Parts: sequence; structure tokens; C-alpha cells
Amino acid sequence: MAQRPATERLRRLLIILPWLMERGEVSVDEAAERFSVGVDDLIRDLELVSMCGLPPYVDEMIDVFIDEGMIFVGIPRLFTRPLRLSEVEAFELLAAGRAAMQLPGADPDGALARGLGKIAMGLGEDDMGLLVVAPTSEIVQELSQVIENRQRVEVRYQSSKDVAPTDRLLEPFVVFSSQGNWYTHAHDVSSDGLRTFRIDRIESLSVIGQAENEAPDSMPEPGIWFADADIERVKLRVAPRGRWMYERYPVDEVSPPDADGWVEVRLAVTSHQWLERLLLRLGDAVEVVDPTSMRVARSEAAARVLGRYSVKR
Amino acid sequence: MADRVERLTNLLALLLETRRPLTLHEIASELESQYPDAGQARRAAFERDKAALREIGVKISTETFGGDRAGEMGYRIERSSFELPDLGLTDDEVRALQVALAATRPDSVIGEEALLKLGGVGGGVGGPIRMHLPELPALPILRSAVAQRHPVSFRYSGNVRKVEPWGLLLRDGFWYAVGFDQNRGARRTFRVDRCEGEVAIDSAVVFEPPADGDLGAALPTNPLLLGDEVAAEREAVVHISARRGWLVEREIGSERILVRHDDGSITIRLPFTNEDALRSWVLGFLDDAELLEPADVRDRLIEWLKAAV
Repeated sequence: MAQRPATERLRRLLIILPWLMERGEVSVDEAAERFSVGVDDLIRDLELVSMCGLPPYVDEMIDVFIDEGMIFVGIPRLFTRPLRLSEVEAFELLAAGRAAMQLPGADPDGALARGLGKIAMGLGEDDMGLLVVAPTSEIVQELSQVIENRQRVEVRYQSSKDVAPTDRLLEPFVVFSSQGNWYTHAHDVSSDGLRTFRIDRIESLSVIGQAENEAPDSMPEPGIWFADADIERVKLRVAPRGRWMYERYPVDEVSPPDADGWVEVRLAVTSHQWLERLLLRLGDAVEVVDPTSMRVARSEAAARVLGRYSVKR
Repeated sequence: MADRVERLTNLLALLLETRRPLTLHEIASELESQYPDAGQARRAAFERDKAALREIGVKISTETFGGDRAGEMGYRIERSSFELPDLGLTDDEVRALQVALAATRPDSVIGEEALLKLGGVGGGVGGPIRMHLPELPALPILRSAVAQRHPVSFRYSGNVRKVEPWGLLLRDGFWYAVGFDQNRGARRTFRVDRCEGEVAIDSAVVFEPPADGDLGAALPTNPLLLGDEVAAEREAVVHISARRGWLVEREIGSERILVRHDDGSITIRLPFTNEDALRSWVLGFLDDAELLEPADVRDRLIEWLKAAV
């Protein structure tokens, strides 16, 4: 079996050892589960470090032994505290915390705010250096309230397919922000299924009663919901200056660049209008490869929009 | 061959326990036969171990000896730079951090390890309100530089930029670094995902923060005002058709509306510095929007469309 890299094992061990030392005695299973390591790996690594030490080996540096599924730890001398937070870990915690502080309903003086303050202080910093600006519209706030109260709402929604807004009955389960836009996963009463809606396309919202449907056990996680296989795919050829497109949107694959730096990108397209907008914003830095029926989409859209600019006003 | 974890653990213990810096020769003789005897192979193995420890976040301090050992290097690890101080976090504070991670970075292994260090556990399910945080390798070092007020340098649009970073801003799904660009002598905004290669931090220098002291206020929040080559601010005039008017009004606010036309359409004014962002914004409405002014930008937009036909 392939071994995990030494650095990864050591990093985990340096987190596990202080915890074990504080407990003194703990079952192998509990420790393995808590730290997401295999039981065999844990036993092997603990036995290994128990043999570590410095000449002349008079006292044990890490006094650990394992017997009948239990770990026993003697008087600790070294590795009694976890390693300081690394730069990457500090970022992870502070960025997650700062972002969560801006979600609707966050308490500016609550436990999260206090925890973030203590971490920044522990790092010796008085400024976290991060600002997460995720403007939330009133509709996002209202939807969060609706989710909390388990209600059904009627919304006026402008889908990217329809010419005019339509009324829909929704039972929202989750609101989330991804790539700068807010979405909700909701039960759509008319199609009787889980659908995703862009919140900035909800023109108005009114509560009309209690929700009747339970939230499904698993909800698509933010960021991966475009993976839905039902959504139509297109293949585009994109110039180097159109790079922002495949950095910005979730794409299935990006080919290695050709001699001129152009790449082929496969991505999900939720509607023809969405594709047209994307193509126009890329201008001559993009070509549709597949499906062939879409190859004219860019020039058709460009001609139509140009029509607006030729009318004298 | 002995397990590498064993040698790394022994090296870690030795450098933590020693009261004075140790030379490589001393380290090798303390860790009997765990390092190769030959000078060059020994140095290479030790450098690999140092790099491995650095990778997991252990800082080895290096000292160059003087006197009759002049030129030799000594190594040790300061216990205070190794151990996490007690942060005094309460259980509910650790749980709040766990919920925050689950809501923003549900699959982050690094976040989970950080929580474990703080006595919490990873995993868990975010609440009904979530935000997906984009991840970029340059972010942690940039955040440290902002918090500790150290200048950074990185390659951007083909040039090396030396910047005093004032803050990091997540807006519209993108991370931006805002700061004082020493080469240009002015404030600049950089897309972090466009920084090329490694970001270097100059820990020897501490810069003065901007005079107004309020970093938040120094950061532009309007995407049309963001861009690395920030020219003077200009104003665009755009006509928006009736069926998209309400969307736009909600986005920009009613005070930016110049004319409400009888057919329900609106004419708006928009400050911008970044022409690319403005063009993208207008074209995002397809034939529901028309850029009227400035004339030069309108002409370039028409050329752009002609090239796409």
C-alpha cells in the first residue's frame, strides 16, 4: 500500500499528540475517527514516534504505548502544544469567518466575532487584512427568514429563458453566494422538483403559507451545482485574452493551449441568452466549436446588438 | 532505511531541546547514523528535511557563527515560534468557526486541521446560508503581508510590481489586493488570480498604512471602478430597456437614473474607470442596453461588435 507522504503524517501527528497528552488515555478508534486517519496508520505512527528520542535515551521523549485498543500517554515533555497556525491555516479560518460574518443573520458581537478576534490576537495582528464584500439584497435577507420559518413563497422571477417575468411558487431550502451571485436551492411547486434560482432575478416575493416539502438529505454544495449532467454543454475555443472566462465560470475541462495559446473549453450553458452574453463579452476572442448549430450564435447576437447602435436617437 | 517520519521527529526534538544553535556536523552526530556520512549527501538530506519541516509550518532559525567558527551555520527552533499559544477560545467560539468553515469552505482539509489544532473538529454541515469562497495560492501570503504591513512583489501583466498591500477584498467572486504600487507611486488594485507565479514578501520592511487609517474606506467596492490600470474616473451614460430596467435600478440605485422614459425604459449614468468592465457590463444585457456616452468608448464598443459578427 502506498504510504502517505512523511510531511503529511508528521503534520497530523503534531496535532494528535498534544490532544492525546491532554487526555492521558483514549481509545484508538476515537482518536482515529476524530483526526480522520486509519486505525492501522495511527497505531503505526504512534509506535514509531514512541521510539523517537535523543541520545543518550535516558528518558522517553514521547511516552506513548498502545494496548488492547487503548492509547496511554505518560508524562509529556515535548509536543505538548499544537504547532502554531500556519499562514495558510490562518487565512482559511479568518477568511471563512469574515465571509460568514457578512451572511444575513450573523451577530456582529457573537461567538464567531469573538473567536476571530482571539485568533487575530494570537497571531499578533490587530488587523486581519481581509474585507469580504458580499452585498446582500433585501430579497436574500427575506429568503433566509423564509427558510428559517419553513414557508412557501410566491416570487416574480425573470428567468434567462423567458421574455417577461413569471410567477412561481417556491419552498426555499438554502441560499448561497457563488462567484459573486446569490442563488437559492428551492422546491419548485409547479415542476415538483429541486431547482436553483438566481436571487437577483427575483423581482418580488410574498409569503403565502407554510412549506409542505422536506429539504432533501443532500443539497448540491455551492460551487459544484453546475456539475448537473442534464445541462447542455458547449465547446468553445478561447484566446489567451479571454482567459477570465474559464477562470470565472465553472467549466468541465480546459485543453492544453495550442501554439497560439488558444484553448478549448467545455462548459455548461444554462440558456441560449446566457451563451450569447458570454460570446459578446468575449468578442473575437472566442469561437464556438460544438455543437455546430451554435457556431453562428456569436455573429447573430453581435449583429442584433449592432442594430441598436445604427438607429439614430 | 528508517522511516523518514522518525528522522524528522528526532530532528524536530533536537532543535527544540537545544539551548544553543547546532551546526549540521553536531546535528548529524547527535542523530547517530540517521544522516549520510558523506558531506554532500548529508547536506542534501538535511536541506530536504529543513524544507519538509518548513512545509508543515516549522520555522528553523539560522545563525551564522563568528570567531573561530566564522562562516559556519547554526540551527535551532524557538519554542515560542513553534507552539500555538493558548488563545482562550471557548467551546461556542470554536463551534462558530466550524460552522463558518462548513458554510464557506466545506471541503477544506487545511481548515479542518486548523480547527483540530484549536480543539474543535472539522466537517459538519453549513446552515441554510452559505457562500463559496474562491481559493488561490497567493492569498495566505498576501493576507500575512497586509496584517504585518510588509511590502510584496509579484509579476502582473508581464511586469514585476512592488506593492504595499493595504487590504484584500472579495467582491463579485474575485479576490482583489489593494495597495500602494511603489513603481507607479499611486494606489492600484490587482486581481489576485492574475498575479503570476510566487508572491515574495519583504519581511525586513514595515510600511506605513494609508493616512486616513480606514482600510475599508480605501477599497473601492464598485467593480466598474476596479482594474489594475486605474485611470481617472469617467462617467458613462447607458440606455436600458423597460424589461431590464428594474434589475438595473436595483443594482445601481435610483439616484443614478437620469431619465425615466414613457415606454418604461431608463437612461442611467455610471462612474467607471475600467473600460473592459463597463463594456462587459453593457453587453451582458445584449440588445436591452445601449452605451450612449462617452463617444470614444461607444465607438470602440461598436468596433468590438463588428469584429464579432
